Amino acid sequence: MAAEPLSADDAPVPSSADAAEGYQVRLDVFEGPLDLLLFLIRKKKIDIHDIPIAAITRDYLGYLERKTEINLDREAEFVFIAALLIYIKSQMLLPRETDLAEHEDPRRVLIDRLVEYEKVKAACSLLREREDVQILQWKRNFIPPLHGESELEPLELSLFDLAESFFLMMKRREAADTRVIRGRDVPIEVKMKELVTLLQERHVLDFLEYFESHASLEEALVSFFCILELVKSRVAVAVQDELFQTIRVWLRKDPHRTAAHE
Amino acid sequence: MNDSLKALIESLIFVSQEPVTLDRLGTIAEGVPPAEIQAVLEELIRDYEAEGRGIHIIRAGGGWLFSTKPAHDREVRRLLQIERKNRLSSAGLETLAAIAYRQPVTQSEVSAIRGVDSTGALKTLLEKKLIKIVGRKKAPGNPLVYRTSDEFLLYLGLDSLEGLPSEAEIAKILEEEKAVEAEP
Repeated sequence: MAAEPLSADDAPVPSSADAAEGYQVRLDVFEGPLDLLLFLIRKKKIDIHDIPIAAITRDYLGYLERKTEINLDREAEFVFIAALLIYIKSQMLLPRETDLAEHEDPRRVLIDRLVEYEKVKAACSLLREREDVQILQWKRNFIPPLHGESELEPLELSLFDLAESFFLMMKRREAADTRVIRGRDVPIEVKMKELVTLLQERHVLDFLEYFESHASLEEALVSFFCILELVKSRVAVAVQDELFQTIRVWLRKDPHRTAAHE
Repeated sequence: MNDSLKALIESLIFVSQEPVTLDRLGTIAEGVPPAEIQAVLEELIRDYEAEGRGIHIIRAGGGWLFSTKPAHDREVRRLLQIERKNRLSSAGLETLAAIAYRQPVTQSEVSAIRGVDSTGALKTLLEKKLIKIVGRKKAPGNPLVYRTSDEFLLYLGLDSLEGLPSEAEIAKILEEEKAVEAEP
């Protein structure tokens, strides 16, 4: 019942033993230019805070020339760092009147990026260990994967989504309802109070259902503005889980703010 | 020890699809002091960790939940008739780590940390629901701002973001890596 060996989809970084002759490392084993730079720095056992730019640039460019395929996007990223290396070297060649303080070191910008990237890489190896353990444990929230790729992504709801939903619904009403709509004054303040009370009672409101229940266009419009106002003033939240699903509205769990509107 | 309380807590964790917090258990087991719930819970956890049990109670996402033990992965998958769960790609994991540590963060910030365009990796992580969009940054172009999700915590078995590897742990890993490389 021993766990099966884990899939080795991580491209292993070549060990320094191969570093002598005929050293063949393809560029695509590296996540990116920073990964390659870190590899070169470690291979040469260089202190990351004191990089001999000329030597590293030479190594780095050597790798770029050995590329086996052309991928413009990837290439641009590698070339960008090459340009940065050359720029730093040129800055270091410029004569200065006084010695550079540490923070004026032209290499600073590169060192900071490398140090941060190195940390992310190290964190990755720790997170990978966690993933390897967790992936073997089945939890109750597990839902069997659907066949075929899911195209759905979490949706951000904009004012326009809300408005569109509203007008769609009004159109539906128009088709179904042939009564003459008589004007009736519906003050926003009154409707707002009504709405907040309803939200408190029902906790969650179905956006479309709520409007279906309105007698007149005017009243529905006022309600719609009330919802917009509540969302805008962050008293209520409007959420649509997935495309074409209904929009649900509820009050934020922030009694202070809610109270201010009652 | 209070056996009926233990049984109650066990059933509450069992039915829950999400991690159950101590607070939640407290509101349901009315009148029981939190310390007692905690003690009973710990006993329950010990019971399940014992040999001969296939499931155990793990702490993740701020609460407790049941999961199978790692040893039975293959058989569970055979029952469910599914392939091995794929690990994240290195690009995906790297992107996820950059977001986890630097959140809230934009696509261009993540890309800058990695030195690589991360749009595709972000899309995959969104699909896997490991990250979420939390708004837009008030900066030119109003770029989307990302955070890790609750699923992220469950995915890695973390109780909270505090549980991410610390600076000290990361420094230790780096030192070890350098020590290995320094060997002839």
